[in-house]
Amino acid sequence: MNPLVLYHLTALLLLGFGLFGLTSRKTLVGMLISVELMLNGAGLALVASARLTPAVDAVGQIGTLLVMGLAAAEATLVLAIILVVSKRYGSVETIDISKLKG
Amino acid sequence: MENITEYLNCLVEYLKYPVFGIYLVLIVVGGLTAVLSKNLIRALIGLILTLFGVAGMYFLMSAPFIALMQILIYVGAVTVLIFFSIMLTRAPDGDAGMETDGKKINKQVILALISGLAPAFILGIIIFQKMPGALPLKPETSITILGGLLVGPYSLAFELISVVLFAAMAGAVLLGFERRDKK
Repeated sequence: MNPLVLYHLTALLLLGFGLFGLTSRKTLVGMLISVELMLNGAGLALVASARLTPAVDAVGQIGTLLVMGLAAAEATLVLAIILVVSKRYGSVETIDISKLKG
Repeated sequence: MENITEYLNCLVEYLKYPVFGIYLVLIVVGGLTAVLSKNLIRALIGLILTLFGVAGMYFLMSAPFIALMQILIYVGAVTVLIFFSIMLTRAPDGDAGMETDGKKINKQVILALISGLAPAFILGIIIFQKMPGALPLKPETSITILGGLLVGPYSLAFELISVVLFAAMAGAVLLGFERRDKK
C-alpha cells in the first residue's frame, strides 16, 4: 500500500470514530469531542493530499490551518452554548433538551 | 561522509513504516477512548492522544509548521475549552463529566455503528479503487511561502477566518452575559 492510501485510511478511521461518537454520545460535551475527531481527520486528509500528489503543497497546508481556526471558533461557540443549556435545563444530556414545547 | 548520509537515508526509509505504525496506534487507542469512555475526562485524554498522533503524522509528512500549530491550537486551546465545558456543567447530583447509562443503549450503539461504518465503507472503497499513486515526498514548504500566500492571494480567506473567530468570540461573550443577567 502506498503512503497516500495509508494516510487517507487513517483520516477515514478518524471520520468513522467521529460519526460513531457523534451518534452514540449522550451529552453535548461528548459530541463536541467527536466533532473534533472528525475535523482532525479532514486536516490529515488535506495535508496528505497536498504533500503526496501533484497538487500545490502550500495551499493544502493553508487549508488545514483554516480548518484549525474554524475548529477553535466552533469550540468557543459550543462552550458558550453548553453553558447556556446547562444553566437553563440543568443538564447537558441530549435526551433532556430534545423535546419541543407546544 | 558520503557513506554516513547514505546510511541515514537508508535508516529513514526503514523507519518510515514503524513510526507510522506507532502514530496509528496512538490515533486508534486515543480515538476509541474518546468515543467509548463513560468518563468524559478520560475521553478528553483520548482526544489529546489522537491529536498528538495526528501531529506526529504531520511531522512524518515533513509539514512541521502544521504539526506545531496542531499541538498549539488543538492540544493547547481547544482541549482546554472542552475541559472548561466539562468542569462548568456539573450535574447537581452527579460527578462532573460522567455519562449515564441509557435504557436503549444497545439499539443506539448499533445504529451509531451503522452510521459510522456506512460512510467509512463507501469512502474506503473509493480510496482503494481511485487513489492515484503517491509521489515521493516534496521538499518542505517554508513558513515564508505559507505566510506570503496568506497575505497575498489568499488574504480574503485569512480575513474571513478572522471575522469568523471574532464573531464566535463575541457570540460566546454575549451568551455568557445573558446567562448572568437572567440569574
